Amino acid sequence: MTTEDSMDDDVFESLEDTVAHSNLQVKQNAYRSTPSPTGYRDYKPPAEVLKLCETDTIEECNQTIHKTILLGDSGVGKTSLLVKFDTGKFQPGNFSATVGIGFTNKVVTIDNSRVKLQIWDTAGQERFRSVTHAYYRDAHALLLLYDVTNKTSFDNIRAWLGEIREYAQDDVVIMLIGNKSDCGSDRVIRKEDGERLAREYNVAFMETSAKSGLNVELAFMAVARELKLRQSGNKDSNKFSVQDYVREETDKTPCPPCST
Amino acid sequence: MATNIEIEPGAALESALVTTESYENFQEMSSSLEEIKNSNFIPSTTDEYLDNCNNLDNDIHLNCSITSTNSKDEEYLQDEEWLSKSKHVFVLSSAGKPIYSRYGNEDRFASYFGIMQALVSFVQADDDSIRSIHAGDTKFVFLFKEPLILVAVSKTEECTLQLTAQLNYVFNQIASTLTLSRLVKIYEQRRNYDLRRLLTGVDRFIDNLLDFSENEPAFTLSAVQCLPLTSSIRDAISAAIIQSCSKIKNVVFGILLAKNQLITLVRMKKYYIHPHDLHLIFNLVQASESFKTVESCWAPICLPRFDSSGFLYGHVSYLAEDCQACLILLTVEGDAFSSLSEAKQRIVERLRRGSCLEAINESLASREESCMEVGFPELRHYIYKSKSTAQFYQPHISAPYSINSRRLVNIYKQAHYKLHCPTRPLKLLFERTPQDAILAWDTRGFELYAVLEPLIETSSAISTVGRLLNWIKKREDKLFHLNAPTF
Repeated sequence: MTTEDSMDDDVFESLEDTVAHSNLQVKQNAYRSTPSPTGYRDYKPPAEVLKLCETDTIEECNQTIHKTILLGDSGVGKTSLLVKFDTGKFQPGNFSATVGIGFTNKVVTIDNSRVKLQIWDTAGQERFRSVTHAYYRDAHALLLLYDVTNKTSFDNIRAWLGEIREYAQDDVVIMLIGNKSDCGSDRVIRKEDGERLAREYNVAFMETSAKSGLNVELAFMAVARELKLRQSGNKDSNKFSVQDYVREETDKTPCPPCST
Repeated sequence: MATNIEIEPGAALESALVTTESYENFQEMSSSLEEIKNSNFIPSTTDEYLDNCNNLDNDIHLNCSITSTNSKDEEYLQDEEWLSKSKHVFVLSSAGKPIYSRYGNEDRFASYFGIMQALVSFVQADDDSIRSIHAGDTKFVFLFKEPLILVAVSKTEECTLQLTAQLNYVFNQIASTLTLSRLVKIYEQRRNYDLRRLLTGVDRFIDNLLDFSENEPAFTLSAVQCLPLTSSIRDAISAAIIQSCSKIKNVVFGILLAKNQLITLVRMKKYYIHPHDLHLIFNLVQASESFKTVESCWAPICLPRFDSSGFLYGHVSYLAEDCQACLILLTVEGDAFSSLSEAKQRIVERLRRGSCLEAINESLASREESCMEVGFPELRHYIYKSKSTAQFYQPHISAPYSINSRRLVNIYKQAHYKLHCPTRPLKLLFERTPQDAILAWDTRGFELYAVLEPLIETSSAISTVGRLLNWIKKREDKLFHLNAPTF
């Protein structure tokens, strides 16, 4: 019952950096309206955070919130993926099942404008299904995760997609994610298997590693980009496809262990 | 034993907590959910939930991810480490299927579970029930609560009653996860069901609960400890919660806690929370990492003593980045998340304006004074429980127990047992050993357990206790949550 990864691969660390810095920028979610979130009398947020607040307050007023849900079996790394994206941290060997649904707000920058993502991290266990189903309907995007070292979690993806079809909106953005791609020797699901499944259901696909950070930002940013484009109205004319975008972005950097 | 105290310290006319005797009948559970819903003419969601669950059970669309290993059952019999554990706890279905083991993988000793099941059903065949087996210094304690069997194998000094109480907590933790109604229904439909499928992740909560109940006097006393705060601050916090939730229907409880201590508890009129349910909430918050990583969390929680048949929905969040008090808003509405999120923002704003966050932080950072520091040199440590409010207070643990607090916990557990022994309960106990002296006193309004220097004279022990009660009385506003605010 542990998500601890046995291997650490330095290659991914540098990969992640290039992806992150060349294409994408994420701004810290600043506490805007309140000078002190802590209750400590003399606490002041750092200068760069304050600067962010000043410049972005007006823009923020007419922002729509994009709702994104993380789905998948228990223990595939949904919370780890979110925590890595949100804080940049990864805690090895500390599996704690999510209870119910966790909510996190995150503001990201796409093409110089801010997109607000509300990310719902769901519990993978069956007993929470009825609670989480209620939230599928409101979701704009779904990140559906499996664990490349756990065949059951991959086999269950079809069932998950069935549930999504039943409960979610028809036009919801779906991204299939094979997590824990850093676990080279324990891998039981090949990248091609994931790609094939994604093609079959016509959804975007990528492999990520919450541990090394590989593609973590890309996953969320691709979704944010798609949602932003849809919101700006050219949903039908400009057929921006997450699939194509993801393919372009991931192809830029070769992925050594996956090609073996 | 004459004291000049008119009303015992920490007493109040009304309490937000249900007050109980410690070894009461554990079966008793109430059903308050329907009442709340009906009084507000809101269609019940519980049935719908149950239906959904049943659908899931009947057509299994998700494969079970529990792997079973084929290793020999006897493996653990040779495992020194496994054998040397001071307390094992097992949970199995009444059909003998393994559900939980505190140590080791329960699949590896399926035959033990078979023996436990056989023992229970053999005695049950004569319309009787097995409670415990005593072999040397090992106690085997059984609790059969349809549809589960719970067993503790203990080498600790805890008595059978205390072990049974712990097994009850484990049962309640499972009921809290699934609801008792669903648990019963599952086994009615399929006697051989593997419950672990539905309980993935719960073992972490049970593990934590067992550690918690072994070390915290709260469990033995059926009471909670409050974070010391001046009454004006505590009232301001309660008011902030009440005002912020005033327009939201059917919020049943608003609970603010930090470091396993209660800051405030606001309740719906007519409804009370049982300390056992509150302990489950404390355990949930303590054992869950996921509440800390997200801004807020929405989770179904069944409080078995409040209503074992349905879920309340909990909005769980930490107040602010640097104020690690956890706010739990419990409602019967399954779709109230967003309105409670807004309420939480308002609560935090109000608390910040009223400097309440600072007060909480200060209290959390400050160390409780030891007995020596407040002028009781012969007194090493004490626990005072106010019965009418189901709250207790204990000072900071100082020498000689700061290194071995387990010893102190055991002294209290044994004294508590002697006061509440069902066959021969005591009102007053004074016991001296070469290491320490214990004075335990059970009155109508309070229980006091004082651990003193072993050489203390009886008369000065009594006068110390008298002075101590006065001392607590003077500080009762700060140490106890004396009013029971309602929405």
